Amino acid sequence: MSQPAVAEAVAGGVRCLDFEEIMRRNQAMVYSIAYHFVYDRALAEELAQDVFLQLYRSLDKLDSAEHAAHWLRRVTGHRCIDFVRKRRVEKPVDLDAAPEPAAEPRESDPLLRDRLRRLVASLPEKKRLLIILRYQEEMEPEEIARTLRMPARTVRTQLHRTLALLRDKAGRFLGEGTP
Amino acid sequence: MNRLDDELREALRREEPPEGFAERVLARAAAEPDRQGWWAWLSALFRMPRVRWVAVTAALFLAVLSGLEYQRQQRLLAEGERAKEQVLLALRITANELQQVHHKVQGLNLSR
Repeated sequence: MSQPAVAEAVAGGVRCLDFEEIMRRNQAMVYSIAYHFVYDRALAEELAQDVFLQLYRSLDKLDSAEHAAHWLRRVTGHRCIDFVRKRRVEKPVDLDAAPEPAAEPRESDPLLRDRLRRLVASLPEKKRLLIILRYQEEMEPEEIARTLRMPARTVRTQLHRTLALLRDKAGRFLGEGTP
Repeated sequence: MNRLDDELREALRREEPPEGFAERVLARAAAEPDRQGWWAWLSALFRMPRVRWVAVTAALFLAVLSGLEYQRQQRLLAEGERAKEQVLLALRITANELQQVHHKVQGLNLSR
């Protein structure tokens, strides 16, 4: 077989997970988590490739496509955190350097999106991951807690505090007053 | 739902990776050394519930058999020891009797 298909079926009907199928189905998710985490497309691709290679090596430990997706979210998050800590790659928020969004920000303003992405990418690593899982993956705090193996209460508290921080920093260009 | 939530959802929407990403991943995976081998085959085999049950049952059966065999060996050893003791006792009795006969014969020879 020219393409790597792992975990060939064993006699007796073990369900076979196809690596390529799982990879194609989840590539946007994995890449986007990495991209929103490091806000660098080249680094994001590097991280995403590493995650899928790890999946390739671990595929026989996974039971289903859903299990694989859950595994991918968790591993991508941890890889991103480890990467940033090891390389000390930080994206400091430099709102003065980035172009200002329109004086009256309209919906879907790309400059506004850019600023928000920079803001998110400047958060402490754990909080950054929580925000990405909450808003990119639209996961509830309980789901995030299960994925990251954290207490649900901790997830809710950290999300609340991080959103307050973001609202404080972004309020100026979102046209919202600080609470 | 406030504006920040909406804008965050928009800013953090999923994006497709760059063109050719999947092919690059597959190429790297294909270049991986074959780590599957017999261990992965064995692991996959033991994931099957029936195989697991058969393996556990077989292991228990072997453990019981080993236990029984051990007990049998211990019994044989004990019986061997007892037999040895009996032989030694018989030899000691015979030696005593022979000594007594020897003394009697000596006594008879001296009295002539």
